[in-house]
Amino acid sequence: MRRSPVGLRIAVLCYIGVLIGVPLIFVFQQAFIHGFGAFWTALRDQQMDHAIFLTALVALVAVPLNVLFGVGASLWIVRHPSRFTRVLDTIIDVPLAISPIIVGLVLELVYAQGGWFGSLLAKLGWQVMFSFPGIVMASIFVSLPLVSRQVIPLLRELGDHQEQTASTLGASPLRIFFTITLRSITWATAYGVSLTLARVIGEYGAVLIVSGNIALVTQTLTLDIGANFDNFNSYQGFVGAVLLAMASIVLLLILGVARHRERKRNEYLA
Amino acid sequence: MLAAPLKETPIAQAKQPPSTGRQLRRVNRRGRRGAAKGLAVTYLSLLVLIPLAALVTNAFNHGLGSFWRAVTQTESIDALRLTLVCAFIASAINAVAGLATAWVLVRDRFVGQGILNAIIDLPFALPTVVAGVIFYTLYGPLSPFHVNITGTWIGITVAIMFVTLPFTVRSVQPVLESLTFNAESAASTLGASPVRVFRTITLPALMPALLTGTGLAFARAIGEYGSVVFISNNLPYRSEVASSYIYSLATSGQTNSAASVAVALLVIALVLLIVFNVTAQRLARNRA
Amino acid sequence: MSISLNGVTKYFGRDLVLDDVTDEVPLGSLTALLGPSGSGKSTLLRIIAGLEPLNEGHIELNGRDVTSVPARDRHIGFCFQDYAPFRQLTVSDNVAYGLKVQRMPKAQIRQEVDDLLRLVRLEAFADRYPRQLSGGQRQRMALARALAIKPDVLLLDEPFAALDAQVRGELRGWVRSLQRELGITTILVTHDQTEAMEIADRLVILNEGRIEQVGTPDTMYDKPANDFVQGFLGPITTLNGVAYRPHDIELCAPDEGVAATVTDVIRLGFEVRVVVSDHNGTSSWVQLTHDEAQRLNLIVGERVSLRVRLGAKKNRGPEIPEVFRIKGVESTSD
Repeated sequence: MRRSPVGLRIAVLCYIGVLIGVPLIFVFQQAFIHGFGAFWTALRDQQMDHAIFLTALVALVAVPLNVLFGVGASLWIVRHPSRFTRVLDTIIDVPLAISPIIVGLVLELVYAQGGWFGSLLAKLGWQVMFSFPGIVMASIFVSLPLVSRQVIPLLRELGDHQEQTASTLGASPLRIFFTITLRSITWATAYGVSLTLARVIGEYGAVLIVSGNIALVTQTLTLDIGANFDNFNSYQGFVGAVLLAMASIVLLLILGVARHRERKRNEYLA
Repeated sequence: MLAAPLKETPIAQAKQPPSTGRQLRRVNRRGRRGAAKGLAVTYLSLLVLIPLAALVTNAFNHGLGSFWRAVTQTESIDALRLTLVCAFIASAINAVAGLATAWVLVRDRFVGQGILNAIIDLPFALPTVVAGVIFYTLYGPLSPFHVNITGTWIGITVAIMFVTLPFTVRSVQPVLESLTFNAESAASTLGASPVRVFRTITLPALMPALLTGTGLAFARAIGEYGSVVFISNNLPYRSEVASSYIYSLATSGQTNSAASVAVALLVIALVLLIVFNVTAQRLARNRA
Repeated sequence: MSISLNGVTKYFGRDLVLDDVTDEVPLGSLTALLGPSGSGKSTLLRIIAGLEPLNEGHIELNGRDVTSVPARDRHIGFCFQDYAPFRQLTVSDNVAYGLKVQRMPKAQIRQEVDDLLRLVRLEAFADRYPRQLSGGQRQRMALARALAIKPDVLLLDEPFAALDAQVRGELRGWVRSLQRELGITTILVTHDQTEAMEIADRLVILNEGRIEQVGTPDTMYDKPANDFVQGFLGPITTLNGVAYRPHDIELCAPDEGVAATVTDVIRLGFEVRVVVSDHNGTSSWVQLTHDEAQRLNLIVGERVSLRVRLGAKKNRGPEIPEVFRIKGVESTSD
């Protein structure tokens, strides 16, 4: 049966419309309910500006680290399989199933003052919990598998004949890596990077615990939104929310393009 | 240290007379591999392994008895039960809805299909807290629709439905795309109605992927915090989800209890994933 | 450039994949590595290329011991069965890859690539991507890419296996003439004995990691060293427990041969196969021409007699075969 019944189409559109469409429209409506001027003023709120800055900084550190590790680990797992890489693969997937609150908790248990490394860190004068490094760690933890889960299946599917051929043509391993391997996983990596970025700027529960939620110091944008709502400052909260919603939409577009490019390439793989 | 994609030197391993050049290369390769291993192990240990070890240690700090007591506190049981029930209902609904959505995305043609395809990922890309505050405002005391489902299991379930939809859709979609129509056409020519074809041919083919996706959704759902915490109102024993309970324990200094309930939640998630994935694998194997 | 294999042995874990393989490939020849799947022929090719290490033995390319030389320094050209195109690069960038590695000046690269594309008749596709090419075109691109670096040796791993029959036939012939024209020493791995017989100067038959026989196609067909080779290279039929080529068995008068009953008559257009069964139930078949079959007009159930045709070359039966391995000289049996 090639055609899908029109009834199904309508039902699905209604479901998606109500579940996803309505909230999306609502957040924009609420943010601009007092007009563009009020929106602009709210954007310049000091607490929010700091939160935006902090979130951007965290992303700047956490995302590249994750991509580096993700791509490297994927290559290793697929091209040089061993017992070690199988364990590596499983560990990388663990964060998928862990509640963000638990993520925050486990990091606190180790890196807070009373934690396992607490006294060692105090002696070194390094602050991890309730501070920037802690937020970065929590962000990396929750987004750990996102790049690998895209790149690994692709690498498996592609096989390494291209790389071997390049080797017979005289290319060094480094050259092969940059001219062949990396280029063959570009869009899958882009997809993974977008997911990672979305996750990092959107993380709430884990960062809530790890940062201490100290306004103007360790409060990311998500925490800022939460704080505003807790303080019945809902308009300010919605302004922040719509900012993140817009960022999500941009990332969605990138995801769509990446998926499309991957599909085009796979068309001929068959 | 990124692993080089190829073995660089084909080294005759067994009976060659050793030469320093060859030995040096072998040592270098092993050295590089070892360094990479060490780096990976350190990175993951600091980030994942040691913290998880700390969790388990902390949970059983005062023995199995205190672990069990923490987990079986009334508030804990209530929270776990509420979480599981809402997660289950939401996942079940989304299993059906996800299948339907994937179907419409793959086998139908209409204007705006691309937008639909893109918007499915929105709950995945959108921060949970944003979803949480939107749902609270939309369906709470200030609701423009004059609906108030805050503090109810319905509210929690709806929020979870929002967050977990992409999992089921995206796990079924690629399988549906790769299905040819051969088996279905064969069944049709044998006189089967479209519904029967779907039930006996198509659905079994999609079941493994659907189960895996639902399992992921379920595991994600039981740990969900940001999207649920606002609409649930967090009333202990009444509308508190497991993650909120753990949070309240953690922030009130009851670290061991927090760790215990967290371990319980993780175990539940693990069991769920295993059950779903094993069932999916078994179904897939039977078909192959 | 000739290739010397000396006692090449390869283990995958505990499995012996190549067992003391020794051969000398003459300069400028096209050698087919023939054998069933699992015989180790692809592994041997990859070892020659340097893509796979060996456990024991030596490999020499034109007198130079390359056993521990990495693939990129062996100056060989390799084509995979799936062509392994560089998907992100255009056809001309694919072909130019090896030249860019050599840091050739851009203008010269462009010239060489143009020449190569013209040679393989792909000049119109220079700016296309591999996904826009057909299977045969991708194969030609892979060849051009391998030839670009002017390798001393060309190694082809089942290059025609993924193509449909007609394209396969055309491409085969074309590769053969190209190889002759360029005079490049070539080893081609295949499991298709017709293909090997058609284009190769010499055959090396591998079975379970061992060389069974080496020789020209004619020699190996007419004088197979053992049952395996005979069975692999062409159809066989048995009479009295001895294997013969079907065209060496003929029908005769009742008292001159073995009695049998016709069980099937299969018309294949130019030839007709008459399947017979003797009193033991063993089945053989006789090959008749179209005219012969018409004249005899055999029907199922009819009684016939079979004998070995006069002058038929007696092959080696189930006794232990002798396989000749003489370095530098093509082997012949007899």
